[in-house]
Amino acid sequence: MKKLLSMLLCLLLVAGLAYAADDELVNGKFKKTKSIVVEIYDRANDGGSKPEDNFYTNYIKAGMLRDHNVAVTFKRVPRWTEVQVMNNLLAANDAPDVCVTYSYPTILTYANMGGVVDMAPYLSKYKKELPNLFSVLGDKNIYWDKDPKAGTLWAIEALLFQNNRTSVFVREDWLKKLNLKEPKNTKEFEAMLQAFKKNAPALLGKDADKMVPFSMSVDVGWRADILATSFVPDAITDKEMWIRGFDDRRLLWPNYKEGIRVLNKWYNDGLIWKDFPLYKMGDKTEDNLIKAGYVGAFIHNWDIPYRDGDNSYIAQLRKSAGPDAGYIAIECFPNDSGKYRKYLSAPIDRKVFFPSTNKEPVASLLYLDWLSKFENRNFLQIGEPGVTHEPQADGSVKTIAAKGDKIMNSAMNIDYTIVINGLDMGDAAKTAKSLAMGYAGIEKRYIERSYAIQRNQSRVTANFNVGAVASEEGMGPVEQEKRDNLLTQAVVAKTSDFDSVWDKGLKSILDSGVQAIIDERTAKYAQFYK
Amino acid sequence: MDSSQSKLKRRQETVIYFRRYWTLYLLLLAPMVYLVVFKYIPIAYVQIAFKKYSIVNSIWEQPWAANHGMEYFIKAFANRDFLFALRNTITLNLLDLLVGFPAPIILAIVLNELRFKKLKSLTQTIAYMPHFLSWIIIAGLALQVFAPSSGLLNVLFAKAGLPTIPFLNEPGHWIATYVSLGVWQSIGWNTIIFLAAITAINPELYEAAAMDGAGRMKRIWHVTLPGIRSTIIVMLIIRLGYILGSEFDRPYALGNALVNNVSSVIATFVYNYGIRGLQFSLTTAVGLFQSVVGVIFLLAADRLAKKYGERGII
Repeated sequence: MKKLLSMLLCLLLVAGLAYAADDELVNGKFKKTKSIVVEIYDRANDGGSKPEDNFYTNYIKAGMLRDHNVAVTFKRVPRWTEVQVMNNLLAANDAPDVCVTYSYPTILTYANMGGVVDMAPYLSKYKKELPNLFSVLGDKNIYWDKDPKAGTLWAIEALLFQNNRTSVFVREDWLKKLNLKEPKNTKEFEAMLQAFKKNAPALLGKDADKMVPFSMSVDVGWRADILATSFVPDAITDKEMWIRGFDDRRLLWPNYKEGIRVLNKWYNDGLIWKDFPLYKMGDKTEDNLIKAGYVGAFIHNWDIPYRDGDNSYIAQLRKSAGPDAGYIAIECFPNDSGKYRKYLSAPIDRKVFFPSTNKEPVASLLYLDWLSKFENRNFLQIGEPGVTHEPQADGSVKTIAAKGDKIMNSAMNIDYTIVINGLDMGDAAKTAKSLAMGYAGIEKRYIERSYAIQRNQSRVTANFNVGAVASEEGMGPVEQEKRDNLLTQAVVAKTSDFDSVWDKGLKSILDSGVQAIIDERTAKYAQFYK
Repeated sequence: MDSSQSKLKRRQETVIYFRRYWTLYLLLLAPMVYLVVFKYIPIAYVQIAFKKYSIVNSIWEQPWAANHGMEYFIKAFANRDFLFALRNTITLNLLDLLVGFPAPIILAIVLNELRFKKLKSLTQTIAYMPHFLSWIIIAGLALQVFAPSSGLLNVLFAKAGLPTIPFLNEPGHWIATYVSLGVWQSIGWNTIIFLAAITAINPELYEAAAMDGAGRMKRIWHVTLPGIRSTIIVMLIIRLGYILGSEFDRPYALGNALVNNVSSVIATFVYNYGIRGLQFSLTTAVGLFQSVVGVIFLLAADRLAKKYGERGII
């Protein structure tokens, strides 16, 4: 009887294997062609190609079919309304198999509704089939969001290869004209702004009344980033950064208020663009002021003046203010221990997840692995020689603006290389060189300077994985809006009202659920990292 | 004539009737389909307010929310943002009603009194043109005209040595700008219906009043206004039904970070919490509350109108 039973079990096992074999991989290739649908951002660029059907998608499709016998189709999702569109696609059971978003809380909300595949079991079972994925992202990025208790993994974090943040930019030619040295601290910076204001007639002639010594937008947190965080004590611990780190602009970090107090003073001294609070996020008025040459200094993304080729700040500025004009990055806000501290983001970028309608999680993982393979992602990032780049003798590449079918709809095709954001030439020196030549028409020295500043005395914020923090659910956009309102109101308040505006506004943010997040993070930290 | 015969006759009449008028019913079909698909079927989804919403499960499979399904209503009323939005919605709508409702009536009467036909139609055309502009465009224009340092008006004030006015960046002034722009945008359009009502007044009444020695003001007071009273009341009842209703684009486009505490209304709350924050149950609860209050106001206003001898709308 026992024999019979064990024979039966064996038979079942064999039958099971045989059945699985049809689904199984032979040398990484499926026996039967599988098909998957992959989300692709549609940026609706002027003169761009169809994001779901072009030279690069054909490259990916051919490669996936050849290497894994997987047929890939792309589904486009508008970049700026991706969450809303994704909601509809998920609700209609029509979501792509491989989805991408920048918002982890959104994925978590979907997961809590039962809408996301747990990747953990597939990753452990198929690890040996995914060598490239594991080598690029490492366990760190792959298991970044793994729930420490339940072991579930709803998304993989793509690698942010250059995790640069904000730099301070000033008009290089104005410094020269006024015979000023680059400011080295906050006081000197303020004196420089005053000098710009005082010398407006000399600098701008008949447009002197348009002078904006320091420019700003309603995203005050971003546009004050490097100034405000220079008031954070250098001794801040990783733990405190994380516990008070729900707000990605660092509003909740200690002493942040003092940085905004400086802006408040500047605003009341007439050094900041007066009308900034009235223009919504994404409005182009400020860009136009910068391009027209009225703006002396600003804080923004580390490479913003150099982006967009002929439409870049610098290229346009030179048209209106002469060929010597330019914005250069400077180091000027030391903290309490005299360091030019930059708090860079963790090396995570977009989050890749599989909705529960995905019937091919293995093929989808192989897709990520294929994208992680160096030759594939490098081709997608730099394109064809002579078309999108010029190869240099030392192995680095110089970007050329391409036209036609081989045009890249996103810089370095980041929308296709969903596992990595940022140029990787496989070698740090080559990467840095290629990056400096990655801005068509811009002198290398500008990019090199801003890049070096990002690397100087910077500190990467630590991550503590405690699983889902329940009080954070749905709070992201709500908190963001309140933060922007508080910061804007605090900057433009009368100096005598600054404290009351700040304290009242911050209290209302904390009361609206942010204090609960801080408390829960504190408790979870104590639970997992004693 | 026995009963079967009468039945047959009636059926024949029906057939003839439909043969003659089927095209009218066909025309009716399109709006009916629209109402059923976009207005009646979605009513079933009101239950989202009482359930723990899931984007992947069918609405019928989703579990009930805590506290006998009332969880999200309780949450909404414990939410300070919602209470602020509620307060602002009521304030702005009441001001709109107070200023924006009489404005087109007055304009209609004034236009009616104009004797130059050409001037009348020209004024009318100019007055209702802003109705066709979207609020996004109006907000853009408002920035050009009212911005504190680069706005046209403030530039003129500054040149004339006058103090500048914070039309858009100070809560009190902002409300005034908001209401005035609302009047500017809708006054002409809303005049149309009152002008039509005035046209229907029997001219003999005016002649009789003139014979009795009534001046222009007297004629307006005793003939024109009573003549359009029922139209005014119907319009007022409809307006009251929207007392908690809120447009999205107007406060959203005109609002900014400095006046947020007076410009955030229920519609912007729903956008922020629901569409951006994915809290669908909470915002459906808010929407349902809004509709229920709207219906109560509508019915109460209708009842009141009937009590005073008007026809009402229901």
